[in-house]
Amino acid sequence: MLKIAIYGKGGIGKSTTTANLAAAFSTLGKKVIQIGCDPKADSTMNLLGGHPVQPVMDYIREKDEEPEKIEEITKEGFGGIVCIETGGPTPGLGCAGRGIITTFSLLEELELFETYHPDVVLYDVLGDVVCGGFAAPIREGYAEQILIVTSGEKMALYAANNINTAVKNFEDRGYAKVRGIILNRRKVENEYEKVSAFAEANGLEIIADIPRSDDIIKYEDQGMTVIEGDPNLEISKTYIALAKKLLESETNE
Amino acid sequence: MKQVVVKTSTYSSDEFGVCSALYELGGMVVMHDASGCNSTYTTHDEPRWYDMDSMIYISAISEMEAIMGDDEKLITDILETAEELKPKFIAIVGAPIPYMTGTDFQAIANIVEEKAGLFCFGFQTNGMEYYTKGISMALRELTDRFCIESVPKPSDRMRVNILGATPLDFSVNGTVDAIESWLSKKGFEPGCCFAMGSSLDEIFLASSAHVNLVISYGGLEAAKLLEERFGIPYVVGVPYGQVFSNLLGNTIYQASMMNRHQIAYAAKMEYGSESKKQVAIIGESVLCASLASAIEMEHPELNCKVLCPLDTESLLLRPGDQRTPEEDDIASALKKADFVIADPLYQTLCPEKEFISLPHTAFSGRIFEKEIPILIGDLSALKL
Repeated sequence: MLKIAIYGKGGIGKSTTTANLAAAFSTLGKKVIQIGCDPKADSTMNLLGGHPVQPVMDYIREKDEEPEKIEEITKEGFGGIVCIETGGPTPGLGCAGRGIITTFSLLEELELFETYHPDVVLYDVLGDVVCGGFAAPIREGYAEQILIVTSGEKMALYAANNINTAVKNFEDRGYAKVRGIILNRRKVENEYEKVSAFAEANGLEIIADIPRSDDIIKYEDQGMTVIEGDPNLEISKTYIALAKKLLESETNE
Repeated sequence: MKQVVVKTSTYSSDEFGVCSALYELGGMVVMHDASGCNSTYTTHDEPRWYDMDSMIYISAISEMEAIMGDDEKLITDILETAEELKPKFIAIVGAPIPYMTGTDFQAIANIVEEKAGLFCFGFQTNGMEYYTKGISMALRELTDRFCIESVPKPSDRMRVNILGATPLDFSVNGTVDAIESWLSKKGFEPGCCFAMGSSLDEIFLASSAHVNLVISYGGLEAAKLLEERFGIPYVVGVPYGQVFSNLLGNTIYQASMMNRHQIAYAAKMEYGSESKKQVAIIGESVLCASLASAIEMEHPELNCKVLCPLDTESLLLRPGDQRTPEEDDIASALKKADFVIADPLYQTLCPEKEFISLPHTAFSGRIFEKEIPILIGDLSALKL
């Protein structure tokens, strides 16, 4: 099972990347689960054609009890991708990080993996590793690899560096390792060079170079990924190539 | 009303369940919690505290350590203390504060284990679950780490381990010793006991048993693991009363012959039960279901129903028994009972009913400890 957590600065395109990657894996015949780990609960939106899944925290808040069946908090979207959103507490209250950990424990109790037998699990995590809860997806038993999404913008690289440093601090804990960088282009001058310099300085590989594409916005407006919209587009092929690369490296390992 | 206890008491928590299960095994147990929050552990939940030494500590986590996620201080303190005390293993036990800050106890345990060169367990307890869960976690982990190799079985007698013994369920009134004596009288050789009266070295030899006797929910997961790993079948039941204990003894022989786990009290004669006097028994599932069967076998005029507020599995209850997680559930179920057998603190829910007191340490602590009867092989102390 390929288990990947996707991190990066807020607004950098993590959810877009994750959803397209999920769609790409699915197109390659893989059973995929995508878990949005952000109180905004918008990670899987474009896999579900505008009919979002109820976030786990919303379910618990509304019913005042935990779900008893995994089907109550999952929804299958494009290509049979199983979509889950942790959601979070009422904005300004509670503890979102704790909500993620609780959701993960619940998914284990409800036998998520035993029910769906996924080939690939993608964790789409809120902007930065701000507290223990947001490191939960990379703990032992969850994601084994981390992909950091960044553009060439200064603040995006700053966040990428913070994430990489946080992961290094966890080296002796048996947590996930950084697999590589996804360059999500923002039309920044010398963008590749800037990201490449960061990657080289940290001993990381740029595993994918995603061009800026209006097609992404066009299909997102229709509630879908570009892969669902038109798998023959260049941008779609880029995501599929990334999915293939990740699968190949898993096979080689 | 959900999760509200108005008239009765609350059960001991999961972290104390872990501590209780590991108390006698020579390990160092560290509750990662603010100092002061755990006084109930020593004052109510651990009757061995003043008579038997055990390396149980509180980390005394501070506000800033919680905010900063300063696991390093905990790790350093544990390593320094372990160096001094030379425990046989280390257990780090979670409490409400680290639970809320998402402390990863397994990761910390991995680090401590590597640095200290000792087995180290990290228990993701939170002080909000029942002690039954803590016992279950502790005994399962103990089995997983220490019962690795297959040990030859004795050929002259059938060896039987006891799984799930803690003072929280069985007090320190001699009940566990009585279970061992009962095993001997039935022709079995008592093996090790998880985890009262046995050393860690004896636990290492658990795989030499022919059968495991599970005497509480807390012992079930360990029994399942021993069955999976070594093919040792388990039998669930507490040898209460004369007739039921005879049945339990036969069930142990059967389980060994058939090499299949069994629940000794699984069968219940439902026919005509409505015309009988209705008895409600409140408490831990294996103890209460065993007691219910023992009473029905010796008093055919009685029909018993177990009300279980604690963690259990549906198979550990008998037909007609009920899980009652909320106080309201218990109060409602008691309306149909003619009389009640339970910890005295439950009497406030049914003051008008005939009530037989059966104190439970995990519920009322030491308040009634001198009144806890030994019912192994003989129900007469219950004064039915």
